Amino acid sequence: MNRVENVASVPSPAQAENTISMPMGLLGFERIKEYVLLADPAEEPFLWLQVSNDANLAFLVVAPQPLLPSYKPEISPEDVAFLGLDSAADAAVLSIVTVRGPNHATLNLKGPIVLNRRTLVAKQVIPANAAEFSVQHPLPVIQP
Amino acid sequence: MLVLSRKLNESIVIDGHIIVKVVRVDGDVVKLGITAPMEVPVHRQEVYEEIQKNNLEALTQGRAAVSALPRVPRPKGDADTGVWPRNRNTAKKQ
Repeated sequence: MNRVENVASVPSPAQAENTISMPMGLLGFERIKEYVLLADPAEEPFLWLQVSNDANLAFLVVAPQPLLPSYKPEISPEDVAFLGLDSAADAAVLSIVTVRGPNHATLNLKGPIVLNRRTLVAKQVIPANAAEFSVQHPLPVIQP
Repeated sequence: MLVLSRKLNESIVIDGHIIVKVVRVDGDVVKLGITAPMEVPVHRQEVYEEIQKNNLEALTQGRAAVSALPRVPRPKGDADTGVWPRNRNTAKKQ
């Protein structure tokens, strides 16, 4: 069963959240090391990566692979070691979304966030094949 | 800026624990080997700046500040998006 659907079945609160530790921060936000990953079934498949002590600072994120099946970032052995990833199944990849207008957004495929789903430690990584990817990849959307 | 001359296979030491070594010189390309602790991020400057700029653009003033999310196609089937954390998933305890 879909995990996100599991979240939807939680009676109260409707939203699910997990504290994510980012020891290196995001690039340009190195001092912010603790985030909350918020999931709301109404906002699926998007999630919010919110600064843990400031609800007014948040990044919209999405798992890119279901939307872009050919996207295969190669995570460096150093990052795998840093995140303590024992298997690929423990890793979740998230892309930061930049909303640029009504139903118009881009994905950062060059600097994905890799999350260890067991330890909830995450890092914004630069994949070994980053040169293939854009920081402003158009998000596939349904036109009305 | 401190400028040092180094030959092939020579190194510099920064702060006693970061070593930058000239591994290869080929025309106008210099290959550097960097040995640094895991918690010291090392990036190509132009890539770092590109991602940093994008992060700044992507930052919102919270979920309330984004009125309408983009409408994205649903993946077919009941695929596990692989995103939600394992083991510590509060939903799984229900």
